[in-house]
Amino acid sequence: MTNVLELKNITMQFGGVVALNDVSLSVKQGEILALIGPNGAGKTTVFNVITGVYTPTAGQILLGDGVSLVGKKKWQITEQGVARTFQNVRLFGEMTALENVITAGDVRSKSGFVGSLLGLPRSRREEKQNREKALELLKFMGIEDSAHKLGKNLAYGDQRRLEIARALGTQPKLLLLDEPAAGFNPSEKVALGNTIKKIRDAGYTVLLIEHDMSLIMGISDRVIVLDFGMKIADDSPTNVQNDPRVIEAYLGVPADAS
Amino acid sequence: MEVWSVDFSVLFDQFFALTIDGIALGFIYSLIALGYTMVYGVLRLINFANSEVFMLGTFATIMTSKNIFGYADDSEPLTGWKLVYTLLACMIISMLVCAIAGVLVEIIAYRRLRKNGSNRLTTLISAIGVSIVISETVRILTSSAPANNPRLLDKIFLVSYEGTKFHLFKFEIPVSAFELRLDTLLVIIFAIVLLVSVDRFVKHSRLGKGIRAVSMSEENSQLMGVNLNKVISSTFFIAGLMTGAAAFFYTTVYESTKFNVGFELGLAAFTAAVLGGIGNLRGAFFGGISLGLLEIYAATIFGTQWKAVTAFVVLVLVLLFKPNGLFGESLQKARV
Amino acid sequence: MAFNLRDRGADIWDRAPRSGRIAIALSAMLFAICLPFLGGTFLNTPISSYEAVLVYPVGLFVLMALGLNIVVGKSGLLDLGYVAFFAIGAYTMAILGTHTGLNFWEILPIGIALAMLSGVILGLPTLRLRGDYLAIVTLGFGEIVRIVALNTMSIGGPNGIANIPNPPKFLSLEYTLQNQKAYYWTVLFLIFLVIWMIRRVSTRRPGRAWESIRQDEDVADLMGVKTLKYKIWAFAVGAAIGGAGGVVFAAKSMFVAPEMFTLNTSILILACVVFGGMGNIWGVITGAVILSYLPERIRFISDARLLIFGLTLVVMMNLRADGILPRKKRERSYHS
Repeated sequence: MTNVLELKNITMQFGGVVALNDVSLSVKQGEILALIGPNGAGKTTVFNVITGVYTPTAGQILLGDGVSLVGKKKWQITEQGVARTFQNVRLFGEMTALENVITAGDVRSKSGFVGSLLGLPRSRREEKQNREKALELLKFMGIEDSAHKLGKNLAYGDQRRLEIARALGTQPKLLLLDEPAAGFNPSEKVALGNTIKKIRDAGYTVLLIEHDMSLIMGISDRVIVLDFGMKIADDSPTNVQNDPRVIEAYLGVPADAS
Repeated sequence: MEVWSVDFSVLFDQFFALTIDGIALGFIYSLIALGYTMVYGVLRLINFANSEVFMLGTFATIMTSKNIFGYADDSEPLTGWKLVYTLLACMIISMLVCAIAGVLVEIIAYRRLRKNGSNRLTTLISAIGVSIVISETVRILTSSAPANNPRLLDKIFLVSYEGTKFHLFKFEIPVSAFELRLDTLLVIIFAIVLLVSVDRFVKHSRLGKGIRAVSMSEENSQLMGVNLNKVISSTFFIAGLMTGAAAFFYTTVYESTKFNVGFELGLAAFTAAVLGGIGNLRGAFFGGISLGLLEIYAATIFGTQWKAVTAFVVLVLVLLFKPNGLFGESLQKARV
Repeated sequence: MAFNLRDRGADIWDRAPRSGRIAIALSAMLFAICLPFLGGTFLNTPISSYEAVLVYPVGLFVLMALGLNIVVGKSGLLDLGYVAFFAIGAYTMAILGTHTGLNFWEILPIGIALAMLSGVILGLPTLRLRGDYLAIVTLGFGEIVRIVALNTMSIGGPNGIANIPNPPKFLSLEYTLQNQKAYYWTVLFLIFLVIWMIRRVSTRRPGRAWESIRQDEDVADLMGVKTLKYKIWAFAVGAAIGGAGGVVFAAKSMFVAPEMFTLNTSILILACVVFGGMGNIWGVITGAVILSYLPERIRFISDARLLIFGLTLVVMMNLRADGILPRKKRERSYHS
């Protein structure tokens, strides 16, 4: 199986703080890979480094086809096929749900300002296609009824789903989900788990940060554990759950495992 | 086309004198820059109104000597004890006026927006609005006429040296002129006293620690029991005190003011704050002195009409190439 | 439930059939075209000629407010030096009009191109800066343009350039100082063109890019929006519009001087955008019309015009930051 993404010896240092210490990991095509660890372990930092929010102090980040992501601009990285959601929902609140997804889809359009202004055929075509794809994605995530509601007026669960739909709108190869189940009740978490599996089955690769163990056990193919910025485990879910080092890092089973 | 000429000869002839002038101007800038930098530190807001508060201080200084003490444009300079207490009164009144004005500005223009969690653009526009209201009100009240400060402190030269050339073998080595005026010296001395006081206050006093805590993290400092409103009002108060002192020094040295004096000085002082690293108190000092010297030298070389541009050009260059300033930390990064 | 004028208007528009919309649009345009003929009514301005007022400040302020709206209102970039583009357009007309044989219509695209180019040149290094800093740098740019014009004798220096030729007759319309109707209709045409352009682009990729930049630029970046490119486009288009206004202004006034292009004008235009409703075309037009027309109509507030603008900024930001006609708040059905 090929790797969609590879992190090689990534170190991320902020002044005196070492957030990531020589972390290496790879994400295989078509898998659901979970990234877990205690708070402050560096999980979101990994996302930030991959997506270009931070430039790593050392190390390489390579896409499946050998393209290096380090030093690229954020939109270039998205163009290359990496998209993400956020720990705290960050929608474009004053746009409708549909517009949120269409905006994400624009990264695949070739037409620019002049094309849009003059209404050139390519621009019109791309608008139409983009809109249709966006509606499909909303349906895929089960929120097509809210298509014309403003982002900030959506129910919390729908907002989270919209964030995922928006990320998918960029037609990524790799989808990064940052605590997508935060604030969900158990049945919502089950539904989310099924949705993530559905996303994987549709051809995407998923890297997700989560705290809910049962959700992770249920859907992940593989689990990577971070602690104090270092990788301490990289194995199947069952093995990781029984790994003494992991247990030690967490000081026992997390509170919300059910 | 002589406006584009460059003249270095005056610079060399008068180097020391110009440097002293530059340092004095620089201290005035430092004090005002403190105003910008302290407010930015706690609120992440560019206090546009600080320049107009400065302007109010200059008028307060003049009104103290004219309306309270009864001196006029042609009054004789004072000496001895009378000189001391008159000048002190002017300075203290100017400082208080600016401090109170600063706090009022915060309450009227910024507090509500802070509570509502308004975005940066909104707050910035409100700041600009306040700035305009103050300067326009004064413009209308003064009918755009300048106000002159009575010369209470005589322009005495403590040291005056014409400069000379001496000969070494075949070379002619110029020694530049040097002069030091009493008022310039006093500005420098008092400014140092004030800057050091603020620095120590912020470092050691309880309120000062509160200010530093808020500038690092508003949320956490509140969790630690810091009274946010009190800290913010105090910051504006102290910033106003410094600006008021600068206003007094400026009026004493340059002897006149106008409703629009705040704009250029405010911009220069803001440049100084950014140059030193906005939010950084010591940076305000270095930035102020540097800019004061730069402006005086540039005015001598390129002509005084380009003085205003110096601050702008420095500002643009700093923001483009070193937005953190000489000593500042990175405030540009966005956290996701 | 707050009364939202814009949404009510949008409601009426949405419910109207296509023919109804065309009727509304046409009658509005017709009304605007006929405005110069209403000089004999209560609309008349006491001091300056009604027709002249329609061109400047009303017409040109509307045009410039629309331009600045793209930058500030839609994209959330605070530009405090917008007058610079106006000045560049005006000086292009002045210089080319008096030194070459080109007429207004030939100079107009040149002026627009030059303004646009300066917008891009200004934007490239500065649009990476954070909001507050961008505001200061653009303010600096505006001032630098004015000071350079002031000190460069070959383009008139403080005396400016006079005897700028009027545009040649268009069809049977004469452009004269006494009869300003032709100028007004030219400005009106530009306004219609700009409105068409903005509406077209707003529902498509550029509009979405600008909105996402305004709402959350970091996330926009991460969603693949080419933020720098579209920020520069916003600047460029805004500058082009300002430049176009400048060309017309110079031709109409037949005289340009640096004192006509001050920071005050930038602030005035900003006030129009803010007062009217940032991001919303109709709000911005309303704001510009009200703020530019009223001081001409009501004499006693004319001198205090800037003061009132300052107050407007502070009051609006504190009470109703969205303006009198805020941008859409409720969902609207997607128009394709």
